[in-house]
Amino acid sequence: MIDEYTRVLEAAAELDDTSAADAVIAKLILHLKGAGRMKLLPQIVRRLKKVAARRVALRGHVEVAHEKESAAALRAAAAAGIVATHAHVNPDLIQGWRARSGDRLIDHSAKRALLHIYQQVTH
Amino acid sequence: MQSIIERIEKEIAAWTPEAGSAETGIVRATGDGIAEIDGLSKAAMSEMVLFDATFDRTLAEALKDPHPIYGLVLNLEEDGVRAVVLGDAAKVYEGMLVRRLGRLLSIPVGESLIGRVVSPLGEPVDGKGPTGAKGMKPIEREAYGVIDRASVNVPLHTGVKAVDAMIPIGRGQRELIIGDRGTGKTSIAIDTIINQKSEPAATRPICIYVAIGQKESKTAKLVAELASRGAMEYTIVVTAPASAPAALQFLAPFAGATIGEYFMEQGKDALVIYDDLSKQAVAYRQMSLLLRRPPGREAYPGDIFYLHSRLLERAAKLSKEKGGGSLTALPIIETQEGDVSAYIPTNVISITDGQIYLEANLFNKGQRPAINVGISVSRVGSSAQTKAMKKVAGKIKLELAQFRELEAFMQFSSDLDVETKRRIDAGRRMTEILNQGRGVPLPFEMEAALIFAATNGYFDSFAPEQVGAIEVKLQDYLSREAGGVLMAIRESKDIREESEKTLREKLETFVARHTTTTA
Repeated sequence: MIDEYTRVLEAAAELDDTSAADAVIAKLILHLKGAGRMKLLPQIVRRLKKVAARRVALRGHVEVAHEKESAAALRAAAAAGIVATHAHVNPDLIQGWRARSGDRLIDHSAKRALLHIYQQVTH
Repeated sequence: MQSIIERIEKEIAAWTPEAGSAETGIVRATGDGIAEIDGLSKAAMSEMVLFDATFDRTLAEALKDPHPIYGLVLNLEEDGVRAVVLGDAAKVYEGMLVRRLGRLLSIPVGESLIGRVVSPLGEPVDGKGPTGAKGMKPIEREAYGVIDRASVNVPLHTGVKAVDAMIPIGRGQRELIIGDRGTGKTSIAIDTIINQKSEPAATRPICIYVAIGQKESKTAKLVAELASRGAMEYTIVVTAPASAPAALQFLAPFAGATIGEYFMEQGKDALVIYDDLSKQAVAYRQMSLLLRRPPGREAYPGDIFYLHSRLLERAAKLSKEKGGGSLTALPIIETQEGDVSAYIPTNVISITDGQIYLEANLFNKGQRPAINVGISVSRVGSSAQTKAMKKVAGKIKLELAQFRELEAFMQFSSDLDVETKRRIDAGRRMTEILNQGRGVPLPFEMEAALIFAATNGYFDSFAPEQVGAIEVKLQDYLSREAGGVLMAIRESKDIREESEKTLREKLETFVARHTTTTA
């Protein structure tokens, strides 16, 4: 049952019209009250938080080894279909950049290349 | 050093940024060897994934722990997948990156696996270094169809008199060994492996012993025994011990079947022993419940029958066009208190081509192997039985079954007529002759000669309690004095008129000598 309620709220969150979304929430709360299921509300909120966290994790994300590579990395990632507003600096990449969105990962970092070489040599 | 530098430089020169694209997901939750993964929307069932611990580590940290952790996708869900972790599940953490590998779970196969002990993933566990097996084969595949198969017509001798005489097994057959714990199921399987030593090298089956959920000490002891008997020269052991994750215990029989199929496809004969499928079923139940699949009877998932049927259906005798190889399967099932009507035993009984049923009562009475002849059966093996064995063992099963009935009747009546007493004595003698200790499989020609002697009354002059000792002496005598006859039986696979005549003469001499001694 919680899954269904969560899905309703997820759909409401997708709506552009905030007043329509508010109306959905109000109706759901009314329904829960009527059905004597208000105690489900904290669980629904927890589930929604998880969904939100998952969406953030799967959102477009670009990392660069050095700040100076940001602009080029964002352009290259956008050309590959991964759009992000800004690039995070991650020195562990050594050089280059990587971008992730949903299921896709594009890795142009020197770290990946070095690991690849290491695996080729040792296996 | 120079070569390493050159190789690294070559790799750097060959690096192209385009190669870094991958389909990934993120571990949402993990526990009990199961990982819930967000993303991987294009992942296929039974596809391998890699839990990438290097993604959010520095290069130095990543190089410290180079062992990859693989997973197997088993549930495809609306917003992600669930996978079982094939390795150290403790190293999988929430937020970890998971990569699709785009291939079904495969293991290395090849001749170089012979003599080795490997995990269900084909990794060596015997400390002898890499196996060197290069070919990769998916562990799940469809069994051969009707057109590709031939009928079972070549015997697989176990070296166990009772089995070869009454419940013969053919190459390509699936014969279940079933019984309570400690009734000698593994012993029959191991004797069968050891007995293949007496087969000519050209037709000797490659044996694969799959240990599922067993104590590692037991497996180590067994490997040592096989090695000491020279059987590891043609044997591969696949082990998923009790300490291994449930996923590996579930996969072990499939890995064994895959290795066996490799040899079958080379036109060779292979024998695979699954010891035991009850533990595999329990491991699969555990996985299924953790994957939140709905439980059915005895909490097993709905596809537990399919799990065993798709595994055992891979045993086959291939047609000549396909090379004529075979894969014989000897699955083992452990029953509780002799209950063969439990869920898993009935499933596997219905899938296999017969069963060897071992009974605790018979075992406690001292019968070895403790086979209950009445409910043990081989549905296809008789067509693979040699002429020699067919000739000598034709009526044994019926006579023994009659003896068991009379034996039960005898408990209520002390006054027996002569004919009944004769039958009971004959039954006792036959039981003694079929008694056989562990680790002493006999070549088929010796089995045929002994059973010939028994069915033709050569033991009738001895009391039933003497027969065991006399039979040992007879084996010794035949090896020394009747080598030619035994060789003739072995080569012709028949007891021809001439051989029969000589054998009778030898037996008469033996009986005359020993009747005088024992009188």
